[in-house]
Amino acid sequence: MKHVLFAALAGGTALTALPALAQQSECTAEPVTLRILRTPGNYPYPAAIEAWQQEHPCVSFEINEVPFAQLGDTIAVQAASDDPPDILVYDGPNTQSYAKAGILLPVTDYLPEGWDDDILPATKAEHSYEGEVYSPGIEQTTVAMYYNKALTDAAGVTPPQTLDEAWTWPEALEAFKACQQGEAGAPSVWGLGPTRFGNGQPGLVYQDLIYQRSNGDPEADPESTAYKTFWAMAPDGSTVEGYLDTPEAIEALTFYRALFNEEGVAPKVGIPNAFFDGKACFYIDTPAAGSALLKDPVIEWGITPMPYFKSPVVHTGSTTIGVTARSNNPEIAAQFAVDMSWGELAYMNVSQRGNLPTLKSLFDRFPIYQDYPMKVFVDQLEEWGQPRPPSPYFAQYDRVVTDALRSVAFGGDPEEAMQNAEREVARAMRR
Amino acid sequence: MTALRRPLALTLILLLILACFFAPFLWIVSNSFKPQLGIFSDVTPISWRTFLPLEPVLDNYRSLFERTNILRALLNTAIVSVGQVTLTLILCAMAAYALTRIKFRGSQVVFVVILLTFLLPVEAMLVPLFQVVSGLGLANSLLGVMIPWIASPFGLFLLKQAFEELPRDLEDAARIDGAGHVRTFFSIILPNVKVPLLTLGLVTFLFSWNSFLWPLVIAQNPDIQLIQVAIAQQGSPTQLPNWGETFAGATVATLPLILLFLVLQKYFTQGMAMSGIKG
Amino acid sequence: MTAIDRQMDAPRAAPRPARNARQRKDTRTAFAFLAPFLILLLVFQYVPLAMMAKNAFMDYSLLNPDAAKFVGMLNFEDMFYFDDARESLAATFLFALIVVLIVIPLGFVLALFLNSTLPARALVRTIIMLPVVTSAVVVATMWNFLLDPSNGLINGVIALFGLPRQPFLTSPNQALIMISVMTAWQQVGFATILFLGGLQGVPKELSEAARIDGATRWQVLWNITVPLLSRTTLFVVVIMTVFSLQAFAPAFLMTDGGPNSSTNLIVYHIYKMAFVMQNAGYASALSLVLLLIVLGISLLQMWLLRAKWNY
Repeated sequence: MKHVLFAALAGGTALTALPALAQQSECTAEPVTLRILRTPGNYPYPAAIEAWQQEHPCVSFEINEVPFAQLGDTIAVQAASDDPPDILVYDGPNTQSYAKAGILLPVTDYLPEGWDDDILPATKAEHSYEGEVYSPGIEQTTVAMYYNKALTDAAGVTPPQTLDEAWTWPEALEAFKACQQGEAGAPSVWGLGPTRFGNGQPGLVYQDLIYQRSNGDPEADPESTAYKTFWAMAPDGSTVEGYLDTPEAIEALTFYRALFNEEGVAPKVGIPNAFFDGKACFYIDTPAAGSALLKDPVIEWGITPMPYFKSPVVHTGSTTIGVTARSNNPEIAAQFAVDMSWGELAYMNVSQRGNLPTLKSLFDRFPIYQDYPMKVFVDQLEEWGQPRPPSPYFAQYDRVVTDALRSVAFGGDPEEAMQNAEREVARAMRR
Repeated sequence: MTALRRPLALTLILLLILACFFAPFLWIVSNSFKPQLGIFSDVTPISWRTFLPLEPVLDNYRSLFERTNILRALLNTAIVSVGQVTLTLILCAMAAYALTRIKFRGSQVVFVVILLTFLLPVEAMLVPLFQVVSGLGLANSLLGVMIPWIASPFGLFLLKQAFEELPRDLEDAARIDGAGHVRTFFSIILPNVKVPLLTLGLVTFLFSWNSFLWPLVIAQNPDIQLIQVAIAQQGSPTQLPNWGETFAGATVATLPLILLFLVLQKYFTQGMAMSGIKG
Repeated sequence: MTAIDRQMDAPRAAPRPARNARQRKDTRTAFAFLAPFLILLLVFQYVPLAMMAKNAFMDYSLLNPDAAKFVGMLNFEDMFYFDDARESLAATFLFALIVVLIVIPLGFVLALFLNSTLPARALVRTIIMLPVVTSAVVVATMWNFLLDPSNGLINGVIALFGLPRQPFLTSPNQALIMISVMTAWQQVGFATILFLGGLQGVPKELSEAARIDGATRWQVLWNITVPLLSRTTLFVVVIMTVFSLQAFAPAFLMTDGGPNSSTNLIVYHIYKMAFVMQNAGYASALSLVLLLIVLGISLLQMWLLRAKWNY
């Protein structure tokens, strides 16, 4: 009985091995195993790995997958251990945190020629720290506003289809109100549906910090509150004081709060599938929703660019690939990471999922992004794309600001929430 | 009080208790057999359809078992719970034997050393415990999930009390026959404390099966995920929870314990009552 | 163990060698029986305790624990300088208080019922124990759906009476109350069992004698049963308080500690500080404070129970 028990325990500790990947070419040198830590079903995808193995027959892979919610904790634990994974597939904005903690290896020296000119600037900015590039980046994504055409038509609303004509937030609010059906705060069809991220509650930095950022001005005097509002953190990442709690931010947040409260056009909690079930007129999501709707058009739909107050802005970013500083095979791991994000292999990876590439040279190869509706995403990325505020303290910033935005959405005082957020981020940065 | 009013009041109170404590369970279980939109449309206005699946479907269970790793999580949890119960019983019984049946210098000191840990709130030890267990290389292993709780001060106290109630004559007879401590322990003491052992086993099983914070922190690899963590993470990462499927998961995670409870209710209740008795 | 053995044996240069050898053998046997338990206790209780005490004075993150540096009292000063510790402890105590205020009277009444001769006792006992054996995770998940503003069962019941729908968990005024009610709902069966144990210990002769002397049922309950149960009550209060101080799942699964930190229970706050905010030193300091509070409550209980009369 005891033996059985301990055998089971030992079995439980084994990693998910993925040894069965094809290795047709002959290996003549020392075999190497690279260990990858990622979220389930994320890239690198098998086709790209197999193609790479043709050139590197001595390398095999062992893949360990953890749910997205636990990825941060797992990386924290495993990367600092004596036997870390070689490759991390992690959430891009954490690059600087990991670089600063010494978890990631710089890959600058491994980047192919021409990379600098081909990469999207937002991707490069997000993955660099103190002059070094820590991740080449594989895909890029952002959010736009989908709409249910049957519902908007019925309400006599025609959402704009190009960036030039994009709505301001007050215009969008009029559309939400016109299209919503039923009592405000508890309608049968919501004006603006709940987010699909996290637990469906509002407040996520990725989606909701752009309200206040768009009420700022990136070109203004760096001392002005308009400038600080747009960047939402000092561009060198040194401080947030005076960047979140500005008059412009408070104005935008007061509007944001009204969406969920006074106007009652957006729900405070998640409703699974609301947009696809026809329970919401508008809905903010990544290209993933469009890809799904193209495959299975359960409703008649369109895409309108993200609304804004003064300066249009959307957040970029996605999961990305990096190499651990304590990897036992740093050179080959770095080579692998860079190869996965360049040329044909990058195409193989990106095309699997339906998000956007990070290389300008690859855009032509995605025909669905060349026309409306999906073209809105490409245009937004190129014209409006900004990373979430890059900083070695992004994880803390993300959490604190999300809590603050959520408390505003739930009816809290914007001034108090943002003041407190500035204090808490400053506290995390103190170290 | 008239003879009529009392049964009526009693019935009403009983119905209220039933509604408060039982209706949520009924709602969860019956709605796990409905498609999501059916759950939504049956909740307002409330009627008997809210609590009964008129056209039961198994889709939620099918997708639960096909789409998620729940079977693996159930198996892992069963291994951890059974392992933890077994090892806790062995270690606690041995320690309780030494403290009650062997006279030795230092027993008071040992007792105080154990007594002190009884008062430590385990949740407060989370961070350093995490560092100790991962430092031992036991992070992401089922052994790592159970090992910190095996030396259970509660278990020791419960058994110590039971051992003390056993008459001395039992073992004195064995002593005269020349039995050593090991034999006395196995053939005299243990067979006479079956009920306390069962009680401790049940309470340990309950706590092990239901534990959440520690497995959440220490068992991050999906291969060794435990059932409570699996239920908590349904729907993540980028998908909202599907109501019906979450209900199905909650049902599956709770059913084994409820069944065990219904069969062994007496010991469960006894154990719970004992678990309150500190010091 | 050899070190301990030696320690135990050292002062024993006793005059009676035969008995001494027996004693020594017994000591060795005792420690052999105790060794597995004590080793695990040392490694998983005392070592973490020592680490926690040390880490409370360090600044470090779990991402890079080797880079820890000594910061003196900074983590404790932060507890006063920033609002989070105060707010979190206040929320936790308020949570515990509401749980206790609901559980004690309800548990007591249910125990009286179970101790009576009225029908349906077995059924009630089973039903109120169901939430007790159900995990905190399942209970929290269940209540998440019960409390949903648009499709939840409780709002369904409220709508049945024609009252306005309530926001519950998204309201800073209601969220903490709701998770307290949920926790009380889960624990009341446990409290009932403890009270029942106390009631069954009350000698029947006492109340029978009082009844013969002409006291009403109510007087017997109030003047005899309740005072006799004061030990049990204190005991249940302490258990429920300590349980509530260590609650984690409601904040983690239902509210993320919000809205506006109103449900930021201390154990959840510690978890968040260590694993999300990467401020493990501060988390250790908070843990130390929690530990001292719980220890204080437990010691107070022991002291109170020792001073009181027995029945």
